[in-house]
Amino acid sequence: MKINILKSAIGCLTATGFLFSATASYAEDTLRIVSWGGAYQKGQSLGIFQPAAKAMGITVKEDTYGGISDVKLMVKSGADKFDIFSSGAGSCASGAAEGVLEKLDYSVIDVSNHLPGMYSDYCAGADIFSVVAAYNTDTYGEGKGPKTWADFYDVEKFPGTRAMRSKVDAQLETALLADGVPMDQVYKVLDSEEGIERALNKIRTIKPHIAVWWSSGAQHAQLMKDGEVDMTTGWNGRFDVAKEDGAKVAYDWQSGIMDWEGYGIPKGAKNKDLAMKYIAEMMKPEYMAEFAKYITYGPTNKKVYELGLMTDERAKMMPSHPDNAKHQLTLSTEWYSKWRTIAAEMYTEMMTE
Amino acid sequence: MNETSLNISIREVTKKYDQFYALKDVSLEINSGEFMTLLGPSGSGKTTLLMVLAGFTNPDYGSVKFGDEEVILKPPHLRGIGMVFQNYALFPHMTVEQNVGYPQKLRGVSTAETKRSVEEALSTVKLEGLGHRGINELSGGQRQRVALARAIVFKPKILLMDEPLSALDKKLREEMQIELRQLHDTLNMTTVYVTHDQKEALTMSDRITVINDGELMQLGRPNEIYEHPNNHFIADFIGESSLLPVTVRNGKASLNGEEVTLAEGAERSGDFLLVVRPEKAFLADKKVKGSNYFVGKLIDSIFQGESQLLVVKLSSRDDGHEVRVRVPNESVTQKALPLVGENVTIGLKVADSYVVS
Amino acid sequence: MTIAEMEKPNERGLQKVAANERLTFFGLTLPYLLMVTALIVIPVGWLFYLSFIGRDGSLSFENYERMMKSKAYIRIFLTTFKISILTTIICAAIGYPLAYFMSQLSRKWANICMIGVLIPFWTSLLVRTYAWLVLLQKKGLLNNMAIEMGLISEPIKIVHNTTGTLIGMVHIMLPFLILPLYANMRAIDKDTLKAASSLGATPTRAFWTVFFPLSLPGLLAGLLIVFVLCLGFYVTPAILGGGRVIMAAMKISSNIELYFSWGAASALGVVLLVVTGIILFIASKLVSMDQLGNR
Repeated sequence: MKINILKSAIGCLTATGFLFSATASYAEDTLRIVSWGGAYQKGQSLGIFQPAAKAMGITVKEDTYGGISDVKLMVKSGADKFDIFSSGAGSCASGAAEGVLEKLDYSVIDVSNHLPGMYSDYCAGADIFSVVAAYNTDTYGEGKGPKTWADFYDVEKFPGTRAMRSKVDAQLETALLADGVPMDQVYKVLDSEEGIERALNKIRTIKPHIAVWWSSGAQHAQLMKDGEVDMTTGWNGRFDVAKEDGAKVAYDWQSGIMDWEGYGIPKGAKNKDLAMKYIAEMMKPEYMAEFAKYITYGPTNKKVYELGLMTDERAKMMPSHPDNAKHQLTLSTEWYSKWRTIAAEMYTEMMTE
Repeated sequence: MNETSLNISIREVTKKYDQFYALKDVSLEINSGEFMTLLGPSGSGKTTLLMVLAGFTNPDYGSVKFGDEEVILKPPHLRGIGMVFQNYALFPHMTVEQNVGYPQKLRGVSTAETKRSVEEALSTVKLEGLGHRGINELSGGQRQRVALARAIVFKPKILLMDEPLSALDKKLREEMQIELRQLHDTLNMTTVYVTHDQKEALTMSDRITVINDGELMQLGRPNEIYEHPNNHFIADFIGESSLLPVTVRNGKASLNGEEVTLAEGAERSGDFLLVVRPEKAFLADKKVKGSNYFVGKLIDSIFQGESQLLVVKLSSRDDGHEVRVRVPNESVTQKALPLVGENVTIGLKVADSYVVS
Repeated sequence: MTIAEMEKPNERGLQKVAANERLTFFGLTLPYLLMVTALIVIPVGWLFYLSFIGRDGSLSFENYERMMKSKAYIRIFLTTFKISILTTIICAAIGYPLAYFMSQLSRKWANICMIGVLIPFWTSLLVRTYAWLVLLQKKGLLNNMAIEMGLISEPIKIVHNTTGTLIGMVHIMLPFLILPLYANMRAIDKDTLKAASSLGATPTRAFWTVFFPLSLPGLLAGLLIVFVLCLGFYVTPAILGGGRVIMAAMKISSNIELYFSWGAASALGVVLLVVTGIILFIASKLVSMDQLGNR
């Protein structure tokens, strides 16, 4: 009798899913993967996650997460919530530095056809994206909006409200580029607190025009769609998806800052071996080509172009296309591992002024 | 007109809730300085009438005059009445002094004068020296006195009281009844007192208005109401009565075929109720002229301190009406009472025999 | 043996009964005591401890030093208290009349109103917050309507700033103010107001001298709940503040991400806790609780 009551009580708790969601165990052939949600994860899910799972005959459950800090917290607290996560290269590097990631086994995962530098010991690169300056075509006219970061910071030539990211990532670079620092000098200048302060001072000049500090890709896409701001920094793919949905938005590659995204495995993941095989599967060019149909993030695997898996027209929309890439600064993962914390605090101070 | 009190003139006051009349064409004259009790069972409309006087309930129509002044359109705070509520309605966040001084403060009376009048009011209700107490520190009786002091401190010409003693225990209630009456005689303000307790009404009032179903049933001095109830409702409600059905034909009354001689009221024919007050009925050893007699069986005998209450079930073709007889305690000791189950004869003097419709 | 030494009838038995009763009372409070210990005392103690742990795991003041060094932290705390106080004041300004109105209705109608007050609880906080964003943004419903009606020519900025944050937070916090306040107002004896009125007080005077003082305990409880809940708010200022309103909870979250040490976040929590404690202490000194509780 007592046991029955206890059982049903536990049943209730499990049903409501409060207590046991974190410790629920999954079958051997099931993997849990987390990403960023929105149009990005939709593309991943339809183009990569589910087709790759189907090819391997396994089940892949998807969820969203809050970034590398979630991985850190999960590993340090001994919880077990997911086996693979999708992450930017810089974040992944900081996770690796904290020792919360599994080293990837490149004898299983084939990266021989990857573009140079588009993978690391802890992160297998999957797509290449750009931070660009997007503008409202209703406000400025198609092709007549800010093309460069200098334009973005020029409030006289381009009056209007702006949005920037509430985190420091890929924002200081825009300021220095606008300030006339040559692309190859940007990270050299930033390699000191004075350099960071110089970038912040440039941002301060347009701060009264910054209406919103955005915190997610979905948010900056929505800001442009709703016409809440006239221009914003943000990820190119989100804008392209928004444009397909009818948003009056455009950007120019001259303002690009290129970065890459990949997959990592948290330390102690239960299905580590399977996760490794699954990442290997996801590195295949056909999935990357399929993913790029949904969102304009370019493949890290050169084979996609070599095998002609992508139309020329589509390829030209990718940040990594040579015609686009030549204008762009490539984000320095090393600089972020060295300066991110300090720069972030200084950035917050500037924001709260 | 007395300068410390005002007469109240109520005319055709009617208040209807949906299909139900809380007050139906009530007209009543209350004399200046009079202690008038509105008596009735709960839901009778007596409190509604009091609330109309106070201004908290607006009737559908009707007139209420204090002296010569029509007040029915005036809000409560302009009517200048003192009011004591059933549950005291003291201000819990104020001390006794602040409670009693409240109406004076509103009237812009000087601090010194307020202090003096508060002390006077507190001494009137015998609460000297308790001014600094919080309301929570007082007993029920003390709270009642504070409420009273607060209602009289500004010497209103009219004092309204809504069952003010109902929350007190019996002994305290009876003491307070006498005190309130004495207070009224000292202050001489027109007092309208609402109660459902007939004993309280009989004890305190100059006159009593009996109200039932929103209608005025009878108005009169306590002894009039008691001795000459207008109808069976009042006969039943005031005092303990046994009501026996009698038929009157051609000047003769009969109870189940046996003739009953009435003091009055035999001139009308029809079905009536004979009122038998327990204290007026007596145990009869032998039948003598000038009284009516009923035979029955004693079914209960209750000791009540000052008296013994006997419950007698009438026999003689009767379907079982009960009559109560009160035998004073002195007699209890003097002679043996009949035992339960015995047959007894009950007498009722002709002078005490009257019927109501 | 003298009489005094002799045991009174059942003396020991009755003492035992009394002891058992005390034990029962203790037993009844035990689950709560355990809960408070497990959920409040230990975690708060742990919070304090963690705030003194540096990134390398040793005891240090670095988490507090960081707060002293950067002006951002002071500004974030000021913002947190400013937003919380403003929200609380606006909630009181809107909630008090509403609670008063409800307390004067019959039970039936008051219950219907109460459902109205509580309905927002049925929707998730996130949904309600985004709904405000849709309503308030530059090309949102409100601005569009006002422009169409010719009230304004340019959209006004009512979101992605303090105004928007306040609107969202007041909407979410209002029931927390109304519930205790309404319960308190319901308990006020209506006859006290009638008494005041019969004694000569105008409705306004009766309200301020009788009703308002008697409603203060409920108002204070409501203010306290709203204020304290506001201090820890995250979602609403994050979405409706547009990054221009940074509250302590948001910085706590970003510090975990930034430093990945509980210490960096705990120190913020500790400062918030201590400052709140000081504010409440001062408030309790200014408003004597004894006086208010005198019912």
